Amino acid sequence: MPSLPHNYCLSPPLQDTFARMFSTQLKKLIPLLCFAFSLSALPAIGEEASSLTIRGFGTLGAARSSSEDVEFVRDLSQPNGIKNGQWSGRIDTVLGIQANWQINSEWEVVGQVVSRYQYDDSHSPALDWAFLKWVPDDRLSLRAGRIGSDLMMLADSRLVGYSYLTARPSVDFFGPLFFPSFDGVDGSLTLPFGNGLLRSKVFAGVVQEKATGAPGIWDTSGSPHYGFITDYFSGQWQFRASASNIRFSNDLTITALTDPLHFAAELTGITTASIAADALSAKNTDTRYYTLGAVYDNGPLQIQAAANSITHQTATFQNSVAAYLLASYRMNTTTPYVGISRWQTSYKNYITGLPDTAQFAPINQQFQATLNGSSADQTTYTLGVRWDVWSSIALKLQWDGVYADGNSRFPYASSFIDPNWDGRTNVISATMDFIF
Amino acid sequence: MIRTYKALLFLTSMLLAPFVSADLVLVANSESGIGRLTQNEVINIYLGRYRRLSTGETAAPIDLSENTDSKATFYRQLVDKNLAEINAYWSRLVFSGKTRPPQQAETVDEALELLANNLNALAYIDRTAVNSKVTIVFEWPEA
Repeated sequence: MPSLPHNYCLSPPLQDTFARMFSTQLKKLIPLLCFAFSLSALPAIGEEASSLTIRGFGTLGAARSSSEDVEFVRDLSQPNGIKNGQWSGRIDTVLGIQANWQINSEWEVVGQVVSRYQYDDSHSPALDWAFLKWVPDDRLSLRAGRIGSDLMMLADSRLVGYSYLTARPSVDFFGPLFFPSFDGVDGSLTLPFGNGLLRSKVFAGVVQEKATGAPGIWDTSGSPHYGFITDYFSGQWQFRASASNIRFSNDLTITALTDPLHFAAELTGITTASIAADALSAKNTDTRYYTLGAVYDNGPLQIQAAANSITHQTATFQNSVAAYLLASYRMNTTTPYVGISRWQTSYKNYITGLPDTAQFAPINQQFQATLNGSSADQTTYTLGVRWDVWSSIALKLQWDGVYADGNSRFPYASSFIDPNWDGRTNVISATMDFIF
Repeated sequence: MIRTYKALLFLTSMLLAPFVSADLVLVANSESGIGRLTQNEVINIYLGRYRRLSTGETAAPIDLSENTDSKATFYRQLVDKNLAEINAYWSRLVFSGKTRPPQQAETVDEALELLANNLNALAYIDRTAVNSKVTIVFEWPEA
């Protein structure tokens, strides 16, 4: 992604951060709660009495990243991150409310609003899910509306910290997945197969998400998205394979680079400059996601591994592969875990063809900076412990050691990256995850 | 001497109590037509993966309240998981809008009442609570 600096703020003291986040979040979520409770007065449909259930989840998280040269973020939807060893609640603190209206045994309406740090540097609550679900038969499930995208294993619950072991899902693996949901339909069929269960799912819709894309915000609203997912459950094993596609409906704001390239092409007759400008366009280009995953879950022992491959038609983003391995062993109420993850991109070899004269050198430099802006080449080692202090509260303490190539820029906030970064940062995270 | 022996026996039983599992069995309405289930089938039903019964109907599993020891014992025996892990598992499915968790009964009596009114319901109860209105569909060790 183009990486032009814009203003950023150092995080305020932790206490103030939490107080501000939660008071703002609660104020904005109260009207939703009132609306959800009012639904319970609606009449029942069908044979069974309808029921309304309100649930919630949240994370109070504090984290620090030792490097002063890059800002560590949870995923690429976050415009600013943490750095310089300062503790901040910015990247992990989340609050979500969900209403399930069970109309009868076959029909259900689900709505979920989540407040988290997002593309516009705010914690404004967003409607993540809002769908109608029809289960005509326990083997078949059909949903329509705003649906969670789970093309990567566990992706549709990655904001529910209580549901997983680590302080946050692997940044190397889930970081590029910036859209939590799409508007459309999905259908899932589960059948016995061999000694296990085979679940196949297809989905199609449009993504309505905005992402941080320096400079400015990248609006991907209206981007068609479709794919399929296959899960196989057998004994202690679960396997997952998926493939999906998104066709971006809009370009990033990169006319500051593409306009001079087109102008230079007209001026000099060097057509490669114009071709290079067109290659940066994201509009109407496809990005494909392929994933494989496996979980071995046997009593206190759990091992999970997954790999993905992401290919982009646009030259603005480098193609990437990523994988993670996580192992844990529960001992009473504490579960120590250890993990390793890797994220690597491959450089796309485009040139402008323009000579490096005083007139065109800045354009060439900016073009190369854009191609390099989505570079990732890093390994992360993770060590942590989860302590289930109560049946609905978990405390986690985690260390992540990032060992990167100095050019690994994509995993970090694009608002600030020091070109002299040595590729190292240590991230310490402490979270309290809860459900209610 | 006898008093000392009884005191020792009492002390031993108190110390071992946390390690002795209740004799739980999984039961259904005796008129349901549900035959014997395997442990894998019970796991799939209680973890919400697949609830289709051999009768062609959809199973309606019932959980007992966390206030009872039975729930913790049941999941320990079934999948070797504690209640926090089970709650974490269900939070993943519930907050992604996928599957409903088992219906919860506060007491064994309430569970038995639900069984009486639903031919597809399943509940785990202590063997001593089994009566003529229910039939055992699964027990440990697996038959």
